[in-house]
Amino acid sequence: MKIVEISHVSRIYKVGDHEQKALDDVSLELESGKTIVILGPSGAGKSTLLNLLGGLDSPTSGTIKIKGQDISTLNADQLAEYRASGVGFIFQAYNLIPTLTVLENVALVKEIAKDPLSSHDMLREVGLGEHMYKFPVELSGGEQQRVSIARAVTKNPDILLCDEPTGALDTETGVMVLKLLQSMAKEHGKTTIIVTHNQNIAKMADVVVHVKNGKIKEVINNDKPLAVEEVEW
Amino acid sequence: MLTKKLFRTIGRYKAQFISMIIMVGLGVGIFLGFNIEWKTLEVNVAKAFEDTGFADYRIVNERGFSAEDLEAVENIEGVDAVSRFLSVNVSRKDDDDIIALTMSENIEVSGFKVTEGAPYDPEDTEGLWLCERYAKANGLAVGDTFSMMYKNIEFSGPIRGLIKSGEYLICLVDKTQLMPDFEKNGYVYISPAYMKAKIGMTFFPQIHVRSGLDKDTMIQRAEAALGKSYMVVDKELVTSYAEAHGEMTEGKAMAAVLPVIFLAIAILTMITTMHRISISEKTQIGTLKSLGFKDRRILRHYSAYGLFISLTGTALGIVIGLFIGHFFINPNSVMGDYMDMEYWDLHMPLWSIAVVVLINAVLVLATLYSVASMMKGTAADALRPYAPKAMRRMWIENKKAWKNLSFATKWNIRDILRHKSRSFMTLFGIIGCMLILVASFGMKDALDSYIDDFFEDAINYHTKIVLDTELTDDRAVAELIEKYDADWTADLGVQIGENTYSMEIYGLEHSYYRFVKRGGEHIDLPEDGVLICERIARKEGLKAGDTFTVSVYGTSDKYDLKVINVVQSIPESVMMSDTYADSIGVKYSKSALFTNVADIEESPIISSTQTKQALIDTFNSFTEIMNLMIVLLAVIAVILGIVVLYNLGVMSYTERYRELSTLKVVGFKDRHISRILIDQNIWMTVLGVALGIPAGIAALQILLVTLGGSYELSLQIRFTTYLISILLTFGVSFFVGLMVSRKNKKIDMVEALKIPE
Repeated sequence: MKIVEISHVSRIYKVGDHEQKALDDVSLELESGKTIVILGPSGAGKSTLLNLLGGLDSPTSGTIKIKGQDISTLNADQLAEYRASGVGFIFQAYNLIPTLTVLENVALVKEIAKDPLSSHDMLREVGLGEHMYKFPVELSGGEQQRVSIARAVTKNPDILLCDEPTGALDTETGVMVLKLLQSMAKEHGKTTIIVTHNQNIAKMADVVVHVKNGKIKEVINNDKPLAVEEVEW
Repeated sequence: MLTKKLFRTIGRYKAQFISMIIMVGLGVGIFLGFNIEWKTLEVNVAKAFEDTGFADYRIVNERGFSAEDLEAVENIEGVDAVSRFLSVNVSRKDDDDIIALTMSENIEVSGFKVTEGAPYDPEDTEGLWLCERYAKANGLAVGDTFSMMYKNIEFSGPIRGLIKSGEYLICLVDKTQLMPDFEKNGYVYISPAYMKAKIGMTFFPQIHVRSGLDKDTMIQRAEAALGKSYMVVDKELVTSYAEAHGEMTEGKAMAAVLPVIFLAIAILTMITTMHRISISEKTQIGTLKSLGFKDRRILRHYSAYGLFISLTGTALGIVIGLFIGHFFINPNSVMGDYMDMEYWDLHMPLWSIAVVVLINAVLVLATLYSVASMMKGTAADALRPYAPKAMRRMWIENKKAWKNLSFATKWNIRDILRHKSRSFMTLFGIIGCMLILVASFGMKDALDSYIDDFFEDAINYHTKIVLDTELTDDRAVAELIEKYDADWTADLGVQIGENTYSMEIYGLEHSYYRFVKRGGEHIDLPEDGVLICERIARKEGLKAGDTFTVSVYGTSDKYDLKVINVVQSIPESVMMSDTYADSIGVKYSKSALFTNVADIEESPIISSTQTKQALIDTFNSFTEIMNLMIVLLAVIAVILGIVVLYNLGVMSYTERYRELSTLKVVGFKDRHISRILIDQNIWMTVLGVALGIPAGIAALQILLVTLGGSYELSLQIRFTTYLISILLTFGVSFFVGLMVSRKNKKIDMVEALKIPE
């Protein structure tokens, strides 16, 4: 089943009189349940693509369909609803709320998601069952990223969007986080889209999308994705 | 280069800089304004008294003083100047206007200043010098003829000059009048030569004395010089002096209450805001440090921010202060209606300039302190972004109920407790706003209920007839009482210990005058004792059931009186019934009648008449201006609330920007996020209002006690006052909440979630 259908999408930023094409007539279709890695140098447009998929931004032209629903024409409130239930975000900087405990950070999405999972269960799944009542600052970077994964999955979305999820972590911790991500995605049947400039991560993907200068250079289907531990880091 | 940075940084923190400048401006402005008010009065009133030779003592004898008496007083050691003096209320011919006909033998004492026309001429036997304000209000000019009737004798002549006199600085007909009314009342000076030419004699019931002697010495020496005991009236008891100084005392009291609140809020706002700004400037401070700028240079740069704000704020404050000073003290203000002064130029106490300099120093030091705390340690330390205090579990979280709170509530509670100084400032701003609203609207309530109680209740007559006490002939008065079916009163000057009061005796058949206790209860005059007013009760420490002794001025009569009840009154007086006065043998002569008859025929023994409406009118003009002041205060309160809350709101919004954008990314709607922000505002407002109400009542109580010297105002706050104050405060809080949360729509989710540098 097609979960993502992007057709002729452009995103143009205006800076004064100057126009900057972050995405230039991009079309892409992605299958449900896969792990997709969007690869490209910085400034290529991969984050713009992710932001459009996540409903953080709307395209200047073209349509984006998620599970058949066109999200390119939604208003602010409808986009918020889409973000609340349709996608889960995992950020490079974790973006946890410092004044809420680990459990509260995860549980807060239950107030807005349509069909959320148990936040307690999810935290146990990511191995933080014992740290639920701590505040984010009391956790290591890797642990914080695990909270962020738990938060994203608790919403029970169709898609997990990850923006450089291991960017701020050392290799060892990064591998652990990726492993968790992969297993969570498999377990809960989520489509995972990872944006990165790390070529190695591409080896674990079902599909690798190469982005450069606002255009998609090539889409490679990987028949034999490697398990995280098999990848040479 | 750093100067460029200075202005760009100011641009970046516009909202904070503008609100700090406004706060400092309001603080300094109100401080200066309120101090300018009393200082201006002090200087200009002193000048008015000095210019016209205002007397320090008045020796009074209703039978008049001879030239020998005058000489005796003049020879007293320590007396600088003397003058025999007459002031008597007469009617303007063919009119009801009451004019004080005045004569001062030595115009250097209790004289006047000519503002237009010819100078005083003691030999002038035709002309007169008329009160400038009365002339202006009645379209009279130099050269016009002015005529008055006194005891069926017409005093008439050309107006030689228009004048102002310290003696009539506050020109009131009698003690029940609160505000001068120059359309109906004024004063005229004539020369003794004029009177002699007119009636063949002069008559001076007073000797006015300029002297630096203290009261006791003056009384002793006057007694020794004149050979017997006369009433010696100290200037403190003269309306013009007492009321003018009362205004200054009230002004000083006001200056000690309101500005302190504003200054405190201004300084605290500045400290918290500068702290926040230096937190967000921390990495820049570190950068400058690592570039090789010396600490001192960086401090100097940042102190320029503090200096910029405090200097701009002070400049704004001086403008506001002068405006407030001018608002209170100008010829067209309530003070202008009240006081017939020549000078209205503004003055400020010298020490207030020192205070303003000190405030500037405190503000700059506060900035330096904030910046210095960000600069501590090595350049590398300074480069690291400010690490907020780590979250810790709070006592409140161990309670069962905590678990059931929504995440938004938990978030808000933690935010409030974590940023204590910000929360405290917010609370302080709301309390300040509420306090000023409750106190100023409450002031109006107190005045309104005072008018209701006193004018509507106590005064039950249509017309008051003031008798000429020098001509009272018991039979003629009895005829008048019969004719107008009148009640009557008499008054005597009495002393309780050192203090002088008036003792009033009433013959009330019809209850044309009533006695009202605080709260509105009517009290009958007792037959076995007296009523006293609240101020006497307070000053002399008397209560119902106590006994005290009065001695009648100028006589050796003493009476022991029992207090039956305490009531409200405009003059400070002891009140008793005629039957009680007769039973203890008080000697008096009737001074005024109260009647329901509107048309009073002229009579030689009537000196003037006054309607209840005329009395109410003068009070209304007084309250009109009061209402204006209340509106001004309410506006200031609302500005204060908006500025403080907006400043803190923007600060807290900026600090939580990342968290708010995370919420937005996760899928919270703008509405939902706004509600969280507004919720916090509302909690703080509820708490601020709850604390602001008692604070407002306390402030009002202080103001009422200070004003109690002139009026017996009671603390009676209406329900609507609370309602309006609460609604306004909530309105301010809600409005600011909306303004801040409107920014939600502008949250750039993408930008906000980039990894922080």
